[in-house]
Amino acid sequence: MARHLNTIPGRLVVMLLLIHALLMPPLFYVISNTVERTMKDIFIDHVRNIAQIFADRIERLEPDASEQSISEFLDSAILSGQGRYAAIDIDGRTVASSLMSAEETGLFREDFAFGEHGDDVYYLSLPVTAHGEAAVLKLGYDESPIHEEVAALQLTLTYVLAAYLLLTLLVAGLVSVTVVSPLRWLQKASRAISSGDVDRELKPDSGLAEIVALSEDLETMRRNLVGINERLMNEIAEREQAEAERRHLEDQVHHHQRLRSLGTLAGGVAHEFNNVLQPMVLYLELALEDMPADSLTAENLRRVQELANRAKGLSRQILTFSRHDSDPGFVRQSLAPIAEEAVTMIRALLPATVDLRADIDPASSAVNCAPEQIQQVLVNLCNNAYQAMSDGGGHIAVSLRDAEVSEAMAGRYPHLDAARYVLLEVRDTGRGMDPATQERIFEPFFTTQEVGKGTGLGLSVVHGIVERHGGEIVVESEPGKGTRFSVYLPSIGHDEQSR
Amino acid sequence: MAKILIVDDEEHVRAALKQVLERAGYEVAVAATGNEGLELMRREGADLVITDVIMPGIDGITTARKIREKFRDTRIIVISGGGKAAPEPYEPDAISTRSYLASASSAGADRTLTKPFDRDEILRVVRSLLDEQ
Repeated sequence: MARHLNTIPGRLVVMLLLIHALLMPPLFYVISNTVERTMKDIFIDHVRNIAQIFADRIERLEPDASEQSISEFLDSAILSGQGRYAAIDIDGRTVASSLMSAEETGLFREDFAFGEHGDDVYYLSLPVTAHGEAAVLKLGYDESPIHEEVAALQLTLTYVLAAYLLLTLLVAGLVSVTVVSPLRWLQKASRAISSGDVDRELKPDSGLAEIVALSEDLETMRRNLVGINERLMNEIAEREQAEAERRHLEDQVHHHQRLRSLGTLAGGVAHEFNNVLQPMVLYLELALEDMPADSLTAENLRRVQELANRAKGLSRQILTFSRHDSDPGFVRQSLAPIAEEAVTMIRALLPATVDLRADIDPASSAVNCAPEQIQQVLVNLCNNAYQAMSDGGGHIAVSLRDAEVSEAMAGRYPHLDAARYVLLEVRDTGRGMDPATQERIFEPFFTTQEVGKGTGLGLSVVHGIVERHGGEIVVESEPGKGTRFSVYLPSIGHDEQSR
Repeated sequence: MAKILIVDDEEHVRAALKQVLERAGYEVAVAATGNEGLELMRREGADLVITDVIMPGIDGITTARKIREKFRDTRIIVISGGGKAAPEPYEPDAISTRSYLASASSAGADRTLTKPFDRDEILRVVRSLLDEQ
């Protein structure tokens, strides 16, 4: 209830009802009272005049008029219209109209008491002279038409006031609708805006100056808010992107640092390892020289020699990863012939179930590279791709082309600049890797293969070689979909020697 | 017969190389440190020096440079075991075999070799250097 009272229509109705409740009863009272009094005065004047005429006529009656004729005369007073009572007191006797019963004759009340007896009769008495004697003419006139008229007037007045009340309520309703409906509209629109529909224009269909001014101000506010909101959203998006890029770069830097630390550690181990291997290799050769070549000892020593060679190979790979290997011999050359040769070799090594496709741009730019190491990169990446094929079959795609590294990409990788690169890609349709695996694949001896299958050095070697070439290797992989390794090597344009 | 001086802190490397070279007919002297090697050079001299890079005391690079300063005709081979943990502060490119061997060349080494090399490799290098003399 209080909720309804606190609305504009509620307030208006209550206010109007209050005003009418205060004003209407006195108004009603004053009007009906005035009318009643006026009508009463007119009635009384009229009745007295008539009564006076009767009195005059009584006095003009024959002095010897019989009681019968007096009574008939009185009858005429009643029959003349409004008469209800007619009697005359003469000399202690009462002669009444024959039209009244004896009972009615005794009803005469005091004079001049309009509407006070409850019998709707106005009584008056006039002193007259009849039969030469002093007498009192007593007349009664019907008041009821007056009462009826007043009642009818009061009813009309009530109707008029009620109609007036209804009319004002109707006007209040119309005013409310005119004011409230644009306000309601504004409210709905504001709610829509606050729940996200910020593009809704605040322009209610109203001609009211106040409403128009209010909605114009609100609309200005909305436009400003929308502008601020857009700016904030853009700023947040920009910051988020910058933050994501910064985090990515940090991750990459961290990743490289970790691999470098591992490289330093592994390089130190390999160094010590080589110092152990060196005398072993020489002693083995000396010992073999002293043995008959066909002796079992010589045979065993050759086996040890094979093992030493394997150890030497491992050590070399570790040093390649840690970039502590000896100078592999850099030349300025296009990678195309190197890649072609490597692909031919790899194709021969892979089973027929693996479909190896190569898309090598013969016009790709030259890079400063160690050809054998680039071949090693391709061999190791393709081997890795093959190992990722769970059922031993699938597709490997090798591609070589020039590529421009954008500012955005350069911002994400510490070893890339916004410049021209030669891009060597190896894609496979193998198992793919989850992010945790991707994080670690370049670590030496990290392998997802069963124990004894692969050394876990292949990708470490690739990483070492790419770093040594001043390049970057980017891994994109999704479990179940496959993996793409993108090797970026700085382009040095088209070298004449490479043609 | 040409005389060769081996400088290496690894006893087994020294001993094995010594045997290989002696068996090939060279006269061989050994030293465990750079200073010892320099002392031997001053005292006895040598036609060719094979020195390791990383050694306690003065390293192989310094040893090679000092020998080159005094003995212009002595051939020098610098050998290295490959990577070695870099000193702090961490500078990944500052210390590596590559830079060791590169600085060895600028310090006057005639050839550089990475361990482990086999007998034929070292003998071929030794012979070719001594033949140039």
